[in-house]
Amino acid sequence: MDEKTIRLDRMRYTNNGTSSGFALLAILFNVFYFVSIYRSDVGTYYYSWLIGLSIIYNLVFMLVVFLCSEGVKSYNFNYSVTMIVVGVLQISRIFIIPLKASTTILKVNEEERAAMLPAQHLRVVIFLSVSAFFLIAGGIIGIIKHNKLESYKKTLVKTA
Amino acid sequence: MAELKLQHLDKIYDNNVQAVYDFNLDVADGELIVLVGPSGCGKSTTLRMVAGLEDISAGRLIIDGKDITTMPPKDRDIAMVFQNYALYAHMTVYENMAFSLVLRKENKNVIHQKVLAAAEILGLTDQLNKKPAQLSGGQRQRVAMGRAIVRTPKVFLFDEPLSNLDAKLRGATRREILLLHKRLKATMLYVTHDQTEALTLADRIVCMSMGHVQQIGTPLELYDMPNNLFVASFIGLPPMNFIEGRIKDGRFVSPNLSFALDDAQKTLLAAYSDKEVVAGIRPEHILKGNDAVLKVTLNENLGQTTLVHGTVGKQKLTAKLREWCDYERGDEVGITFENVHFFDKETTNAIR
Repeated sequence: MDEKTIRLDRMRYTNNGTSSGFALLAILFNVFYFVSIYRSDVGTYYYSWLIGLSIIYNLVFMLVVFLCSEGVKSYNFNYSVTMIVVGVLQISRIFIIPLKASTTILKVNEEERAAMLPAQHLRVVIFLSVSAFFLIAGGIIGIIKHNKLESYKKTLVKTA
Repeated sequence: MAELKLQHLDKIYDNNVQAVYDFNLDVADGELIVLVGPSGCGKSTTLRMVAGLEDISAGRLIIDGKDITTMPPKDRDIAMVFQNYALYAHMTVYENMAFSLVLRKENKNVIHQKVLAAAEILGLTDQLNKKPAQLSGGQRQRVAMGRAIVRTPKVFLFDEPLSNLDAKLRGATRREILLLHKRLKATMLYVTHDQTEALTLADRIVCMSMGHVQQIGTPLELYDMPNNLFVASFIGLPPMNFIEGRIKDGRFVSPNLSFALDDAQKTLLAAYSDKEVVAGIRPEHILKGNDAVLKVTLNENLGQTTLVHGTVGKQKLTAKLREWCDYERGDEVGITFENVHFFDKETTNAIR
């Protein structure tokens, strides 16, 4: 067996640790994101139905991505696709709460300011983007590895 | 693979209990040595000293001319297979087998090839993606062996690896270990309290009792020429029959039976005239004849052979007759003896 074949053969017995690890990192950066939002001290601005939905989404997100992190370990195609979809949703989240909060002017301590200051806005955008990057990258790697493994298995069946 | 020398090994625990006394053994390259003895005789302690899991109180341990007495276990290049398998439950068979090599940071492709090769040898190729919980006891023990094989260590140590298996599986796995040894030609130290394992596996057996080595020899030597009463009683199934008596006028005489000595036995026992000795007779060396009458107490048919338990006077004897017998309790069977061993009653040593 040459090096390339051994690498492929190894996949039959080893986990897709890269995609799985990326999924867990995506959860971590999502935690950074929502902690940044929830720690904001801007009165009652965030006390709305939108933040309620955001909390529910974060819980669902963590559950789904954790399941994906386990699923992609075994080179499962569907979990890889799910990761990409959730990654795209993470990007779209940049344009919901962060965008709205950064363009809303509030009176805080007798001073007018944006609900989300530029520095905080930048931070949450980075967190969501990194989270999305890990999900999409993990998903793509998962699909590529899945395809490689499947075609390798087919050659094994043919040569058996 | 390697040569192993155990020189004057002692093991004394902190509470001053001595588990092993002056253990000496030279193991040749590729030899399979079985340490056998009853529980608490020090065989596992000796093995653990070789592995580095127990400190050596005195003596030297040498592998391939290198003194490793004080070397940490990880540097000894020795692999040990435990009775309870010691597999990682959350890892697959493949991961379990690869684990030690991963810790050594070996190339992943090399690890893969080694694991596949070991799995092929052990017939585990189809089980590589399973977790230990999904395997039978025998398969788990094979995984444990595979984990040792992939390391290609200088010496393999087996600490009662078959004790957790049922009788049928034990037999099958024992044969696998024997085949494995023939295939790998590896130096192996194997600990067991099961004499069947010892006799079938060993190139040489070390028989131990109370921390002392009683005899070192080939299985046939231990069976045919036991050094003392302990070895004679421990090796052989059913165990040897022992009859206490005296040598008188060319005969062995006990309160319950007596028989004439042949010329070789007379010469051997010349110095024991009118002294107390113990005659040892293996059940398979009791034949139908006219030396004594055995009053049957129990008849056990084993297929090709029959174990006949009974008494001659008050002396209990077990005979292993090479035929199917249907004796009833109280039946009388004429018996004779061959290959009788004699032991000094005081020293318990064999008379040679």
